Formats: sequence, structure tokens, C-alpha cells
Amino acid sequence: MSLSPVTVIWVGVFCLFGIGLYGLLAVRNLIKVIVALQILVKMAMLALVAASYSVDKLALGQSLAVMVMVADTIVAVIGLALAVQVQQRLGTLDIVELSRLRK
Amino acid sequence: MTMSRWLIVLIIGVPWLGAVVLRLVDDRRARLQHFLAAAFACITGAVSVALLFSSSGEAALSLPLGEVFGTFTFVPDAFGVSLSAIAAVIGCLAVIFSVDYMQGEAQLGRYYSFILLFIGAMAGLVLSGNLLLLFFFWEITALCSYVLISFYNDDPNAVKGGLQALIVTQLGGVGLLAGALIIQANLGTYQISTFLAEAHTLPAGVLSLAAFGCLFAAAAKSAQAPFHYWLPGAMEAPTPVTALIHAATMVNAGVYLLARFYPAFEAVPGWKTAVVTVGSVTALIAGIMAITAVDLKRVLAYSTVSQLGYMVYAIGVGGVFASQFHLFSHAIFKALLFLAAGTVIHSVGTRDMRQMGGLGRSMPYARAVFIVGSLALTGIPIFNGFWSKELVLESGAAVGPSWAYIIMLLGAGLTAIYTIRMVWMVFYKPAASEEHYHDAAPYMRVSLGVLAAGVVVGWLLVGPLGRMMERTLPYHHLHGLTLPELFAEAFRGAPLTLAIVFAGFVLYLALRRFAALWDRFDWLARFADMDFGFSWISDRFAGAVQGIAEGARVTQTGQLNWNIFGLVLGLIVILAVLIVGAA
Amino acid sequence: MLYVVLILGLVICAIFAVRAKQMLTAVLWLIGTSAVLSVLFYIMGACRLAVIELSVGAGLIAVLFVFAISIASDEPVTLSSLVPRPLAWVFVVLAVGFTAWRVLPTGGSMVPVNGCVESTVLWHERSLDTLIQVFLIFAGVIGMLGLLSGSRKRPPVGLEAEGDEL
Repeated sequence: MSLSPVTVIWVGVFCLFGIGLYGLLAVRNLIKVIVALQILVKMAMLALVAASYSVDKLALGQSLAVMVMVADTIVAVIGLALAVQVQQRLGTLDIVELSRLRK
Repeated sequence: MTMSRWLIVLIIGVPWLGAVVLRLVDDRRARLQHFLAAAFACITGAVSVALLFSSSGEAALSLPLGEVFGTFTFVPDAFGVSLSAIAAVIGCLAVIFSVDYMQGEAQLGRYYSFILLFIGAMAGLVLSGNLLLLFFFWEITALCSYVLISFYNDDPNAVKGGLQALIVTQLGGVGLLAGALIIQANLGTYQISTFLAEAHTLPAGVLSLAAFGCLFAAAAKSAQAPFHYWLPGAMEAPTPVTALIHAATMVNAGVYLLARFYPAFEAVPGWKTAVVTVGSVTALIAGIMAITAVDLKRVLAYSTVSQLGYMVYAIGVGGVFASQFHLFSHAIFKALLFLAAGTVIHSVGTRDMRQMGGLGRSMPYARAVFIVGSLALTGIPIFNGFWSKELVLESGAAVGPSWAYIIMLLGAGLTAIYTIRMVWMVFYKPAASEEHYHDAAPYMRVSLGVLAAGVVVGWLLVGPLGRMMERTLPYHHLHGLTLPELFAEAFRGAPLTLAIVFAGFVLYLALRRFAALWDRFDWLARFADMDFGFSWISDRFAGAVQGIAEGARVTQTGQLNWNIFGLVLGLIVILAVLIVGAA
Repeated sequence: MLYVVLILGLVICAIFAVRAKQMLTAVLWLIGTSAVLSVLFYIMGACRLAVIELSVGAGLIAVLFVFAISIASDEPVTLSSLVPRPLAWVFVVLAVGFTAWRVLPTGGSMVPVNGCVESTVLWHERSLDTLIQVFLIFAGVIGMLGLLSGSRKRPPVGLEAEGDEL
């Protein structure tokens, strides 16, 4: 195949983007939503590294990806803690149920 | 130069620091809250007085912020330092007054922190040399005003008053923002000094748009017709707040705006006439509404609107110095009147004047300072109101349209009528009950005494004020007056005005005898109580907007899936547009 | 060639992660995604990132998920989504397609890299970012402790109400 690696990686990035978006659109469980978010963030990191790869600034790309990773970890931590609290207080992890409960 | 830079930093920074600190102090330690608030306010007052001595026309503090926002500058010129001194000193006195007035109230932390936030924001507003920065501080003052009006947030009237004030002043803010953006688009900068220098280079249509946008914003903020109805509704606020925000400072922001931009807009056809019309019509109808109101603070509110009409009128006929001088005097005597009214309301427990009466016996101190303020309001010689009101009328007599001048004279008569009515109903009328009310508490006396002294001697500052304005305002071509000149100007028109004032007094006393004649005007009184229908229009408008918002609420399901759906939809639309655009 | 295999693996793991019925299964597939991604990073020359990805993504995040799932119950998810599935697919394909259309033509040349690339960029050029990251980590830890401690102190609401009535 004459596909350059970078193109392959970009295709992968877009596929992950699509999967993550689909996850956000079609999933009802709170923890699965966080899983979908994680996939999206991994996509972002991959995109960053791939972009820096093609302009020969890998060091910059790497550091930015590390930043993103840290922020994403914090998001996952807080999100999961919230999910635990929600499950214990309100008894359900279904996001549709939850928004109905508010009323 | 560096001195004024530090003073400017302090005058905004100290009250804002105080606002943060007071939020952190627990509400159970009320004495500490009172003390801290008074301390911060006094320091700010002292700083502002110090700033009076380092005024200059040049920018003292500049923060370059790149292309988008321009440079944020603070210019301590005459308008800036005098208005910030008024804000800070009267703020200090209002805070001292609050120590007694708000004794035992809940949520003092919120109260004091927003008052301090307001003082800092007001100082920033008048010292700002950049239009966007001015808008920023404008919005902060509007926020503080809303919070403080609805301070007693269990009372639905208070909340409604606060919301009404917020809506109207924010509408005005839109006008200001539009004007600022238009100026930036045409001149490439937000700097006020640049704008004033180059205003004549703007195309006529653009300049008119900016001019009327400015007038719109000023009318909304200063409660001029047709936006006057929010100020009486704002009387639900605690009285020190009313004295500070709605008498001495925030409502002056509109007049300040007009005065500041006068050199740029005076050549716009129709602008000056519009300003004169707005000012005189407001003065007249507010005067009428004040005569029929029974709530003490409402009378004072209408009186404020009316006096602001005088200031706006003065700007319209070109007497910018007269209007600023009247602003200065009005701030002092109106704050005095409101605080004295606050003393009365605090002891009696109601704002309804029909239930007051005979308070002169039990509250001599309050009566004395109230009368001092009233004499200044009606324009009796010696007190500062006389000098400034005469200057306003003189500038109008010389230049302006005569129908407006006649209206203003009538307004002076109306002022006399409602003032003497107010004094009589509160202090001299035979008492409704035999209760003995307590007079002003110690801290209240301090504030009232200082303000009364200011009313009596404040006008002596006209000379230095005029000189400062001439020196630091290069674009305004003001002519300040020395004391002898002031005497000459004032006494030229005095006989006519004083005659009208005394006629007003006599008319009121006569009407009291012939009560039947008074009842004939009942229909007018009821119409005036409805704010001449403007309030009804605004309620319909607000209702319509709310209806639209509630209708659109259907799309906000609050569910993640639909929200993401909306996001993705937006993304697709944007991308499609980009792709089609690139093709 | 290697790249194609890895990307394919990545995409398959992600698809299974989203489509899993049990939450634990989803987490396992997520770990798989992390592992493949880390290998991909290593091949591209970002060694440090690979290591961090492996330890954090496949280690820390996975442990967190398992911890959370064990506290919360692990019911299988069988409900259908609000947004009709076909519509979701259409939108996803559209979005991805348009984005790809804009980006891919400029996508890029390839610069072959041998071995790892040193990244001293983190401290010198982006020191402010790094400090902010430290702050974020602290904030996250405190936040999590705050959130989780609440569950230990108070019993679930239902029990409390019953106790009062008795």
C-alpha cells in the first residue's frame, strides 16, 4: 500500500472521533458516557502527536499531549466520583432518568 | 505622575479588596463587619480626596492589551476626580450611616461587600479613558445596583424593583456598547481622548448614531423620560443604598456620559435639542409625580429624576460647567435628604407620609438637617442648591429655547411645592399617634452632620473646581467661574426664580385650605401614580420577551444526548458552510 | 503496514468499548485502546508520552473505573437511546466526513523519526502550563476527596427518613 503512515493515523483519528461522538449521542449510562469521553480525548492526543509529527515538532506535540492527558485524568476522576455520588443518592445512572428527576 | 497612578490603583483596589474581605467574614461577627466596612470606605474616601490634588489631563495609568481591546487607560481629569471623590466620600458617609441603620439586619456581608464593590466600580467608571473599560465598569455598577435593590430578597416588591432597574439600565448599556463599537470600527481605537479630538472626522451618519446611542444609554441610566419609572421602584433598597447609588453616584453616570462626550456630539444636528427636550420634559413630569406621591422615598426619587432633568437640560444648552456643578451640589443635598429620610423611616417603621406627622418634636436633629437639605433643593440662597440651580437656569436663559426655559422655571415652582409638602407632612402635620420616636443614632448623626455642612459651604469650591476643569479638560472649552463671578451670575436671575419658589410655597399652603380644589386634581394624581403609563408599557414589553423565552425553552431539554446532537448539528452546518465557501 | 494494523486494532477496541453491554467489559476494552495507543505513540517517537499513556490510561483510569463500578452497581445497560440510532449514525458520518474533507488534503508529509525524541520543552517553554497542570492535579484530588467523603458520612436518604418517622 502506498498510504503514508500519517494518513493512516489521521484516518484512525477520524474513526475514533466518530466512535466517540456516537457514544455521546447514543448512550444512556453515565459511566459509559465517561468512557466515550475518554475515547474522544485519546483521539485528541493522537491528533496532536500526528500533527506535530508531520511538521517535525514532536517535542511540542508530546508536551501538549501530556497536558491534555493530565486534564483528562482529572476530568475522569471527578466524573467518576460524581457518578458514584449520583448512584448512591439518586439510585440511578441513567442520564434521561436523572434529568427527569430534577423536576 | 506616579503619585496619581498609585492613587488610582488604590481608589479602585481598596474597596474591591474590602468587598472580597467582607465576603469572607462570617455573618455572625456583625461588629467586625461594620468596622471593616467603615474602615475600607474611609480609606477610599481619603484616597479620593488625595486624588483631587493630583488631577491632570494625561493618562496616569495605562495597560496595553493588544489589538482587540486597545489600551486600558485611567485619566484623572476634573470629571474623573471630582465624581470619584463624590462617590467615595458619600460612600464613606453612607457606610458610616449603615452602621446604625442596618443594626441587627441579616446578611451584612453581602450588603457591605456589594457597596464597596460599587464604590470601586464607580470610581473606575469616571476615571476610565477607554470606552470599553467604561462599559465594563458601567455593567458592574448595574450589577451592584440590582443586588442591592433586591437586598431584602424575601420581599417580592424589592425583587421586582431590582429586576426592573436591571432591565432598563442594561437596555441603556446596549446603547453604550453600540456607540463604543461604532466608534471603534470607524476610528480604530477605543480611547476617549482620541475620539474627542477626531470626532469631526467621522461621517455624519455614524456620529449621529453614536450620539443618540449615548443619549439612550444616559437617559436609561439617569432615569430620564421615558425610562424614569425604574427609579421609584428602586426605593425598596435600604436607604443608605438609595442615598449612595440612586442619588449621588450611579444615576449621575448618565449625566457624566453626556458631559464627557459633549464636545464630540454638540455639532450633531438635533442632538442638543433632543437632550434639552428629554431634560425639561423629565423635570416637569417628575415634579408633577412628586406632588402626588405619599411614599417619602418616592417623593425624593421623583425629585432626583427632576433634578437630573435639570442637569441634562444644562448640558443640552451648552452649560456643561453648570451641569457638573449642579451634579456636585445635588449629590450632597440629595444624599443628605435620603439619609435624613432614612433616619425617620428607621424610627417610625413606615415610608408612608400619611402616617407620619409631628415628628419635629421628637426628632429635632433629623428635622434640622432635613430642612437644610430641603432649602438647598428648592434653591434658597446661601445653600449650595441655590448657586448651582441659578447657574443652570442662567445658561438656559442665555442660549436655549425659551419654551424649555419656561418649563424649567415651572419646575422650580413644582420643586418648592413638593418639598414644602414633604416637610410639612413629615415634621409638622398634627401627629397621627402620640408615640415618641427616637432621634438619629450617633453614627447617623455623624454622616448627616458632615453632609449638612457640605450643603452649607460646599459651593465655595466652585472656583477650584472650575480651574481644575479648565486645566485638565482640553476638549471641552469650559469656562470656570470665580466666586465674585458666581455671585453676579446667580443674582442676575435670582429674583425671578425666588419669586416663583415663594409662589410655590404660598400656593401649597393655600391649597391646603381649599382641600376641595386639591381633590379636583385627583385624576391627575392617579395617572401620575401609574408613572404616566410608561411602567405599563415596559411591563408589556418584558412580558413579551419572557413569553418568547419560555416558548424557546422546549429546545433546551437538558439531556446529554440531545445536547450533543445539537452540537454535532452545529458542527455539520459550520463545516458545510466552510466547504461550500471554499469551493 | 504496522501502522495499519495498529490503527485497525485501536478502532476495533474503541467500537467494542462503546457497544459493550456490561460496564466492566467497556472498561476492559478501554484498557485495550490505551495499550494499543501507547504502542502507536512509541513507534511514532513519543516515548515519554507512550509510557505516560500506558501507566495512566491503562493503569490509573482503569483502576478508577473499576473502583467506581464496584461502588455503583453493575447493571447491564439495555435501554435504547433517545436519539434514534440511525439518525445518530447519519450525523456521525456526516460530521466525520466533513471534518475529514477539510483536514485530510493538508494532512501531511511524513518525517521519519528514529528512536525517541527528548522533550525538555515541558519545563522550559511551557512552564506556565506545567504549573497549571500541577494545580489541576491538586484540585482534582481535593475535589474527589470532597465528593467521596460525603458518601461515607451520611447514610442514604431513604433510611434516614424512615428512622425519623419511627
